[in-house]
Amino acid sequence: MTEATDTTAREREAIAAVDLARHPGRPRALQVIARILTDFTELRGDRLFGDDRAVVGGTARLGTRWLMVIGQEKGSDALTRAVHNFGMPHPEGYRKAQRLMRLAERFSLPVVCLIDTPAAHAGVGAEERGQAWAISASLSLMLGLRVPIVSAVLSEGGSGGALALGVADRVLAFENAVYTVAPPETCAAILYRDAAQRARAAAAMRPGVDTAHDLGLVDELIPEPEPGAHAHPELVVAALRGALARHLDELCRMTPDELLASRARRHRLAAG
Amino acid sequence: MSARPTPLRGPGPQLRPVAPPGTVACPACARRVVAARWEETLGVCPACDHHARVPAATRAAQLADPGTLESVHTAVDDRDPLRFDDGVPYPERILAARAETGATEAVVTARGEVAGVPAVIMSMEFGFLGGSLGSVAGELFARACELAVAERRALLGVCVSGGARMQEGIVSLAQMARCTTGTSMLAAARLPYVAVLADPCFGGVTASFATQADVILAEPRARIGFAGGRVIEQAAHSKLPDGFQTAEFLLAHGMVDAVMPRHELRVGAGRVLRALTGAS
Repeated sequence: MTEATDTTAREREAIAAVDLARHPGRPRALQVIARILTDFTELRGDRLFGDDRAVVGGTARLGTRWLMVIGQEKGSDALTRAVHNFGMPHPEGYRKAQRLMRLAERFSLPVVCLIDTPAAHAGVGAEERGQAWAISASLSLMLGLRVPIVSAVLSEGGSGGALALGVADRVLAFENAVYTVAPPETCAAILYRDAAQRARAAAAMRPGVDTAHDLGLVDELIPEPEPGAHAHPELVVAALRGALARHLDELCRMTPDELLASRARRHRLAAG
Repeated sequence: MSARPTPLRGPGPQLRPVAPPGTVACPACARRVVAARWEETLGVCPACDHHARVPAATRAAQLADPGTLESVHTAVDDRDPLRFDDGVPYPERILAARAETGATEAVVTARGEVAGVPAVIMSMEFGFLGGSLGSVAGELFARACELAVAERRALLGVCVSGGARMQEGIVSLAQMARCTTGTSMLAAARLPYVAVLADPCFGGVTASFATQADVILAEPRARIGFAGGRVIEQAAHSKLPDGFQTAEFLLAHGMVDAVMPRHELRVGAGRVLRALTGAS
């Protein structure tokens, strides 16, 4: 095989993995909540500006354990995708998440975050209302939150927009998900000045969660049956339920001080 | 979010006009300024008030009280977690940036006093791969915070960056959390952190330590934001409002405490540091 075709094959494989992660049939946050949690009470609004439907959350139960669940919701058909802005939060989405995290802390509820976003929304309103400020405040809040936090990457975790739900004690991911610094289109626009070279960017960036897992940034990959989670959503969601319960059991045995110390160590290391 | 300077909207072209020896040409209006004068104005054009980029080490010297600056050298091994190659292998890009700027990385650390307040001065080198946040820069930022905590110093941070370093992929994203461990330590130790946002400040840097400061100052007309204007314009299919993502725009939206000309920064940052530390 020549070097050129080898490169092409690698790029094709890389972008196919990204497209698989974006399959519209993959389980979304609200579906995960509906399937594995009970007694869900959705809590809405950031109390500052509005209610961002790209982020959903509220109190719920996993088995007997009450918790706070916060997820990025991409929507699962044309209408809901528009309603939820394709899972791309505005600042008010992050501020709603912060509000729910503070509430969880006050009542000692562990927090489960479901990451599912290509990136934070890029727009005039988002910038006017401080998208960067909202994300950086989430990072600070999560690092100091005195209750356990488990995050799970469902399909796409892109940019600081994903990390704003990812400063956790444990990070899980479905094995065909991607977790990246930016979507391959954006990377291509930055590196090659051409968003169309997304396959080339994907090959170079290794966006699959296996990369993050190898580097220690993701703790556990939730296996997906062939050809992917979209074919058997109930199976992968059940597996996620088991993993969440196991990690929460472990973390809930730790004192808040132990949690904070180990969370700080983990993120200070940052795969370093 | 960019490892390279993004094309500019806003004030002036960023081409570097060629200037005769001993002079500097303003990158905005091309006016030739005698080098000594340029240094006196701290890299601000006397003709058009353009606040040009200055090297990180020069920044620190501009902000510290005379005679108090002491650079802090920390050895951190280079990393190439993805063995990234976009035509030029990433390690070669690092070496080239190092040779070009004389800085070891995008984050440069010094000790100094600011208006008599002991501080760690962190400044960013835009010439180093667009001031982008990679794992070494993240480590250096975290260590700057830890040094401040260990020696009970304030942090004065000058943020100039295109954002995350694409060549490090997911590792670059993790640096936002790593840097946050630093700013959280400062907050817990009740040590003040004043940030100066200069042109340009975007992406993962704005969305982490640049905006976690207790007080945020911005230079006039600096472009500051999360997503680049080009990305937003393409996504919105519409023209951006006048002055969008400038320091003045952010001041009007309540995102920064003050827009401060460069020649006032030392005194201005110093005054607020004195207030927050209760200096007599």
